[in-house]
Amino acid sequence: MIQIRRLFASSALFGALTLTACAPAPSENAANDELNLYTARHYASDDAVYAAFTEATGIEVNVVEASGDLLIERIRADGARSPADVIITVDAGRLHRAAEAGLFQPVGDLGGALGSVPANLRHPDGLWFGFSTRARVMVYAPDRIDAAQISTYEDLADEALRGRICVRSSNNVYNISLLAALIERVGAEAAEAWAAGVVANLARPPQGGDTDQIRAVAAGECDVALVNHYYLGRLANTGAEADLAVFEAVDLVFPNQNAGGAHVNISGAGLAAGAPNREAAEAFLAFLLSETGQRAFPELTNEYPALDIAYHNPALEGFGTFEGDPLNVSALGERAAEAQRIFDRVGWP
Amino acid sequence: MTLRPNANALAALAALAIAAPLLAVVALAVFGAWTDYLAHLAETRLTDYLANTAIVALCACATAGIVGAVSAWLVARYAFPGRAQLEWLLALPLAMPAYAAAYAWFDLTQAAGPLGFLPTVRGPVGAGFIFGLTLYPYVYLLMRETFAGQSSDAYDAARTLGAGPARAFTRIALPMARPALAAGLGLVLMETMADFGAVVHLGAPTLSVALVRAWAGEGSSPDAARLAVLLVTITFLILFIERAQRRRARQHAASGRVKPPRRVRLGGGAALAALAICAIPILAGLVIPMARLGWLALDAPVARGLGEAAINALSLAVITALIAAAFGIVAAYALRSRRPLGVAAARLAGLGYAVPGAVAALGVLIVFGQLQSGLDALWTSAFGQSFPFLLTAGAATLVFAYLSRFAAAAIGPSESALSRVTPSLEGAARSLGAGPRRVITQVHWPILSSGALLAGLLVFVEVLKELPATMILRPFNFDTLAVIAHNYASDERLGEAALPALLIAIFCLPAMVFVARRITRQERRAERQLATELG
Repeated sequence: MIQIRRLFASSALFGALTLTACAPAPSENAANDELNLYTARHYASDDAVYAAFTEATGIEVNVVEASGDLLIERIRADGARSPADVIITVDAGRLHRAAEAGLFQPVGDLGGALGSVPANLRHPDGLWFGFSTRARVMVYAPDRIDAAQISTYEDLADEALRGRICVRSSNNVYNISLLAALIERVGAEAAEAWAAGVVANLARPPQGGDTDQIRAVAAGECDVALVNHYYLGRLANTGAEADLAVFEAVDLVFPNQNAGGAHVNISGAGLAAGAPNREAAEAFLAFLLSETGQRAFPELTNEYPALDIAYHNPALEGFGTFEGDPLNVSALGERAAEAQRIFDRVGWP
Repeated sequence: MTLRPNANALAALAALAIAAPLLAVVALAVFGAWTDYLAHLAETRLTDYLANTAIVALCACATAGIVGAVSAWLVARYAFPGRAQLEWLLALPLAMPAYAAAYAWFDLTQAAGPLGFLPTVRGPVGAGFIFGLTLYPYVYLLMRETFAGQSSDAYDAARTLGAGPARAFTRIALPMARPALAAGLGLVLMETMADFGAVVHLGAPTLSVALVRAWAGEGSSPDAARLAVLLVTITFLILFIERAQRRRARQHAASGRVKPPRRVRLGGGAALAALAICAIPILAGLVIPMARLGWLALDAPVARGLGEAAINALSLAVITALIAAAFGIVAAYALRSRRPLGVAAARLAGLGYAVPGAVAALGVLIVFGQLQSGLDALWTSAFGQSFPFLLTAGAATLVFAYLSRFAAAAIGPSESALSRVTPSLEGAARSLGAGPRRVITQVHWPILSSGALLAGLLVFVEVLKELPATMILRPFNFDTLAVIAHNYASDERLGEAALPALLIAIFCLPAMVFVARRITRQERRAERQLATELG
């Protein structure tokens, strides 16, 4: 009893100390030996990227991490006083929205690095750029379905696939960005017909995450699933036998290889409008595009690097190369609201 | 016995400050730019969302109500092996974040899962069960508290007159515990309506999903605020109707510590049945999902920074719990005063709980953004420079955000406890010559203090689990256990999410044991006091 009371007293005291220690904001005008990063990526492995950056430059990285929408609101609430230097989101749509809200300033050419990012993966006026990409692919059971039957996204609306498709909820931003890209390519009406066709072909109501869809294919609940490529890559690398069995039971198709390219979205970064540590921020953005920075994404999180560099990841190499949609990803943000409304209308929850 | 007018005004002021983020959300809803999203919603998915919301809420409340009330009754009124441990174990599933339980149960029961032979936990009914099983401790804690303190006279009379134990329970004990049941279910209802993660994962989109889509998909935070106001209004109406009905059925049965009930000893099969009934919710709400996460964790690397995150989470939870418990007492008196301003402010403060977390966090951001520009302007005119601190980046901001979100969990237990100080009890004390101070210290406090302890415990657990406000309002490089658990879970790495989630439950344990012991000790003291008075 007494120990418990003492424990409480000491933790309360400790808490009070923590509170006072944390209250002041990180210095806004300090020399350029630190950098304030607002990121929507929550991969523990990103810490390794920050650590490598600190080691290379001596600049410490302070991180706040939350969903893209909330990050935008926090930076807006802080206004001119925002300590944000670099903003990272995991969806081009959020970058588009942050740019609309005036949260970015042009990044400069980053010592020539920016020019090497494919033009479709960056903002037309250089407000932000993608540093890694994720492809929306199809995972299927090769014993139950022929890859030729699902060579394009459009095939998913075919009646032959009635009751055979698994996909997650349309709350997922990658479903929204896929439909946004489709609207760009075939127009809103055809895109809506496509979405309605997919809904008619669903094996079960949307539920679970992308990994759950892959597991459902392996378990025979459906024959094909629409997922981001890295979830499959990860199943190969978790070290769990059950996961490896799932990985081996399924195959991957990059859709639309001769018909517009597979849909890609980005993790992207930009320089905050009021960045107090501008030089450090530009050094960090350049580091994301350096060879060390770029290799981290395929090797740690199974994403594709934005630049054409060599890396080592057997699972990704096993998937082979693919042709991505050349559409500029900023269109994904412009069409997001329209895409979501189509999902609402066709009853893709 | 009520507060003096100026104290009452102060209480109202505190409640209003705590309600400020909710008011900011209302202001955003009223003054924000209008789009045609709500019309689009009405034409397309609104009925689905409403139907899902109703089913999820009903299943959650039914599960939590039945499980909570029955287990509380068994633990409070019967003696059987394991009872003393179950008394606090039963509260533990509250430590399991609902989304984590949803992920784990879905993973277990989907086609390829180890329990794939069971029906898959999904859809609105599955989501309702998940909420019921993780949130029933609200009902359990409040009702156990009430049953333990409830006079057994009426119940004994009913039994003597030939009513079976089940009938006497439903007709006598349950109606007498209605304020506690209502307060507990109110919390269950609000948390269920505000959830986003679990309902999306289980494919049971509720109104809160419409709200997130307004914001995430359409980029319209005003429309999200409007839907939040709709959610809050629905919750308020349900709670209001319940209160109005209860007022009509008000009964001033002698209660307080008039005659503490003696526990009926159960033997053989009955004891075993009681044990099983109390063990099932603990298994389903905590042990099984946690075991699944733990199993997955065996293959996963340990997340880094867990120690620091644990200290951060504990510090925030302890500090917020202490402040919230104090606020709960003040608000309970303001409610008891029946002065319109105090009652309205306290009710308003309590409603913040029904707002989905992300929008509640947005409300806090708006309040602090406005406050900051006000302070900056003031400071500039006085000292020629901006206010030296950035409000949104301090841990103190986070404590305020928690208070504003969890005020309902702070108020409910104290209000329910104070309702057991009936006018007749108070009248008796006054007629025996006790002055107001003595009535407070000798009649109110013994009953109220257990309510305040409970309030502190609930808020402690809530803060350990809280996500959206923590994520967006935390200082740089500041993680909590809930943040780490959520980041992994939302990245579909359940294994890595297991350890931080498990730590949340482990930290809740000592707090629950502490509160359970304190309350039991108070009960014993009351019993002894009564015995000496009778002797």
